[in-house]
Amino acid sequence: MSLLEINNLHVRFSAGHGHEVRAVNGVSLAVEQGESVGLVGESGCGKSTLGNAVLRLVPVQAGTVRFEDQDVLTLAHRDLFHYRRRSQMIFQDPYGSLNPRIAIGAAIEECLAVHRLGNRAERKRRVRDLLQTVGLDPDYAARYPHEFSGGQRQRVGIARALALDPVFVVADEPVSALDVSVQAQILNLMKDLQQARGLAYLFIAHDLAVVRYMCDRVLVMYAGAIVEAAGVDALFACPSHPYTQALLSAVPDVEKGLRARAAGVRREIVQGEVPTASSLVAGCPFHPRCPYAMDLCRAQLPDERAVGPGHTSRCHFAGKLPPT
Amino acid sequence: MNHSITESLNRSISSSLWGDAWRQLCRDRIAVASFWIIVIYLAMALYGEGVFWYFHWQDMAPPYQQTNLREEYLAPSVFRHPFAMIPRVNPGAVSSPAIDYRGQPAARSVAARFRVGLRTLAHHPLGTDNLGRDVFERTVQGARIAFQVGIITSCIAIPIGVILGCLAGYFGGKTDDFIVWLYSTFSSIPGLLFILAIAMVVGKGLLGVYLGIGLTTWVNLCRLIRGEVMKHKTRPYVQAAHALGLGPFRIMFRHILPNVFHIVIITFSLRFPAAISTEVFMSFLGIGVQGEPSWGIMISNARLRLWQGVWWEMTFVTAAIFFIVLAFNLLGDALRDALDPRLRTSER
Repeated sequence: MSLLEINNLHVRFSAGHGHEVRAVNGVSLAVEQGESVGLVGESGCGKSTLGNAVLRLVPVQAGTVRFEDQDVLTLAHRDLFHYRRRSQMIFQDPYGSLNPRIAIGAAIEECLAVHRLGNRAERKRRVRDLLQTVGLDPDYAARYPHEFSGGQRQRVGIARALALDPVFVVADEPVSALDVSVQAQILNLMKDLQQARGLAYLFIAHDLAVVRYMCDRVLVMYAGAIVEAAGVDALFACPSHPYTQALLSAVPDVEKGLRARAAGVRREIVQGEVPTASSLVAGCPFHPRCPYAMDLCRAQLPDERAVGPGHTSRCHFAGKLPPT
Repeated sequence: MNHSITESLNRSISSSLWGDAWRQLCRDRIAVASFWIIVIYLAMALYGEGVFWYFHWQDMAPPYQQTNLREEYLAPSVFRHPFAMIPRVNPGAVSSPAIDYRGQPAARSVAARFRVGLRTLAHHPLGTDNLGRDVFERTVQGARIAFQVGIITSCIAIPIGVILGCLAGYFGGKTDDFIVWLYSTFSSIPGLLFILAIAMVVGKGLLGVYLGIGLTTWVNLCRLIRGEVMKHKTRPYVQAAHALGLGPFRIMFRHILPNVFHIVIITFSLRFPAAISTEVFMSFLGIGVQGEPSWGIMISNARLRLWQGVWWEMTFVTAAIFFIVLAFNLLGDALRDALDPRLRTSER
């Protein structure tokens, strides 16, 4: 049994005038204990919505989410409260995700207090421990968020997420708002914490290098659906979905770029736009932008098919495409 | 850099947003001046409160109610005794009176003359009205009533506005519809008519003033708070609080409210003078304060005697109203500059 199992999850938002936006469209995935699963895709593909849906921060229209063999979506008030202690979230925006009017120590202490963990003195001590764990001076507890740099704030966000001792953390682009030099520090911190506490991460990112560094498995999401799932090495070595191939080729790599330019090869860049999530495309959602699209792709939604061990792809021609 | 120096530097920059706003406010000279004017009025009001309760407790008519027909229509003391403060340098000079205002022999030494002069000026400094009542004492009592009205109506209106605004903004849906309907209904009734109606129901007097003003002036605040809460509801820090399992009321009042509280403070400082003027207006119409000297009653009385050349009552009361209203409005503007992050510029 996996730690987290998502089955055929649908999240739709009403966009007014009877329109709806299908942010997440039939996603199934599983996260094992202590594993970090990357979720990549371009902006607006529904990856953050998926993360929010897992934590029940947005209403879900259909599908199931099971966590430690409990159905998360039907949890009643008390059990939901308990679920919050087991699964937490690290937010993308280190500036907006901390309340500017509350000192960071008080903010961390508050979640301990709400969950009735320890008495006042114990909570104070625990806040200091947590700050130390994430590499901040415990004396900073009395300070307010605006006195910290982006990286420090993200450390505070991590400390707050870990305050309740979760086993599962949704990290919603935790480093995309940070400087590259700070990104590495935060990623290393998250890796260390994962090892020390046996955390499982659902790591949402659009930066493939970050995912490659952090994750054991990667899911590629496109227009609300997972188009390819594979171990991190397999995915980067032989991507089998044209979208993944395009994503990988779009990664800026200075050395490769110089070599390619010398050889006169141009990078392959996906043309076109993501189909607006409200208007459904018949067939494979990627076909309007796919260089290999055939009539079959326009007519029929491809099933998930295995390409290798633990490697699946939703493409009619998975495994038969020219390697990149 | 030396470690202890860094440490002390860190201490000095460590501050909350409220602290920043306070420092910015202190740099604004107009705000500081307005603040002190308000403090002076507050002191006057407290003094008036003390006088009121002392005479109430002694079961005596307070000085501002005592009629003294021998002293009616006295002009302000400076006009009665323009040279009271000029010490007599040359004894025997014709200009100095040999007796003081009480008809007692005038003092001889310079210091004693100075003291007598001060006492002369302190006797009905702003003159008296038609019944010989001291205008200064009555103005002070007016300040007392004005502050009571400002504070008590705020205590009624602000909680209503804040609570309804938070509920509407946070929960949305049916709750929001109901509260929007409620305040739209309230704001569709002309304010003064509504105040008059309430005052008629609960009867003339201060209670009617409090309820009338308090129950009609929450609408603007409610609207502002609702909008701000709606905006803050989608902020990541609220989502984070959700994810941590905090309850809706804790999120509303402990997380969102401090971030929109500057609106409450600004609204308070701007509605305070409005409440004062409304009270003046109601008292002027005769449905406000009864049997106590409020500013409105004083204006209403003074108006009848203005043509007789009794200008001081009207002048000092309107000046008193003018300065407190001006001070509150200027302070309100300065508060908005200091507290509203949207208007805040980086260096000021």
